[in-house]
Amino acid sequence: MHTKANALAQGFIRCHDCGCLLKTVDHPSACPRCDSQLHPRRPHSLQRTTAFLFSSFFLYIPANIFPIMTVNQFGAGDPHTIAGGIIELIDSGMIPIGLLVLVASILVPSSKLIGITLLLLCAHFRWQINARRWTVMYRVIAFVGRWSMLDIFMISILVDLVNSGSVQIIAGPAATAFAAVVILTMFAAENFDPRLLWDNQKNL
Amino acid sequence: MNSTNYDSCPECDLLLRSAHPKIGEKAHCPRCGFLLSRPRKQSVERTFALSIAGFILFFPANLLPMVGITILGNANTGILMSGVIALFNEGMVAVAIVVFLASILFPLVHISLSLLISGHLYFNRPNRYLVGWMRWMHHLDEWVMLEVYMLGIIVACVKLMAIAPLKFGWGLYAFIALIIITTMLTSGLDTELFWQRIEQLGKENNLAH
Repeated sequence: MHTKANALAQGFIRCHDCGCLLKTVDHPSACPRCDSQLHPRRPHSLQRTTAFLFSSFFLYIPANIFPIMTVNQFGAGDPHTIAGGIIELIDSGMIPIGLLVLVASILVPSSKLIGITLLLLCAHFRWQINARRWTVMYRVIAFVGRWSMLDIFMISILVDLVNSGSVQIIAGPAATAFAAVVILTMFAAENFDPRLLWDNQKNL
Repeated sequence: MNSTNYDSCPECDLLLRSAHPKIGEKAHCPRCGFLLSRPRKQSVERTFALSIAGFILFFPANLLPMVGITILGNANTGILMSGVIALFNEGMVAVAIVVFLASILFPLVHISLSLLISGHLYFNRPNRYLVGWMRWMHHLDEWVMLEVYMLGIIVACVKLMAIAPLKFGWGLYAFIALIIITTMLTSGLDTELFWQRIEQLGKENNLAH
């Protein structure tokens, strides 16, 4: 199934940690340079990615419908969801910052979930695709993931600073769910092996 | 033990003849465009210098007040740790732990590891833990989120400016300097060179015994 130009098809394994290339005929089990376990591809790549992806899909629902923070002003609580906070920013005229939060906490997580799903389907059903373009998509997904933590850090600052007797900001249950979504999608991206996309191409 | 003259692309597994680009040049994978190597000038020396600077800056960035706010006469200042504690006190334990790891512990461990590794390489001192440190640093890389935290500060400040006047403290300036240094550290680190030097040091050490 492996295409000829691939290193694995020609008898080489690459170490995940230090990038050292080894011959498979020697049957090495650990990398001689950095002592990490050798695997031709990431172990159980598709299964692990699917597991992380499903968990983040389920957590994505509470992350969006529950309030991520509540502003208590003189005893009256005002809960905000992720989308509500963005609408408020844009309404008060802070459009660039509103757009930044929109990208980081709505567009990035949702497109990440869809993107990883597509990558998984593609690797599982051996779709014949433009592998270069799909690898670039994987690279973008892996790069942007961490930026969604922006919302979580912002809440930790707000909760800490706005804490006087009359005005108070309290983090909501969506914060935990959202942090979990970001971390789980990062794990999913880390466990996906883009080389599987190339292994399945017949006409390379 | 790169005994072969070959190399393979980590993202598409194309078998390649080892490229040895000169300093200032880049080697990309011809098939998928992955950046294979980009050697840096004096990578060991620079990493060592930057890690020392980063390690020193880490403390003012964490201990001095970053942002101060006065709401209805109540003054309040925040540092990295106080945000974690505030979350913890509200019962958001999981979120507090995540913030603590990504913005305090992992950056500190990352900078300490790069200081240890580059220090050993700079003074040519072999150490059997070098390989382990290097692997840890490689895995931690993605979880150091100082620059994301900086964006969080910016958004929080924009939101707070509407409520009350803000004051920026020395902690914030130290934090910005720390971000610049960690960014230079990760972009200036020549992983392949580091691995080769570590391997070489290990071999020399074995011959000496």
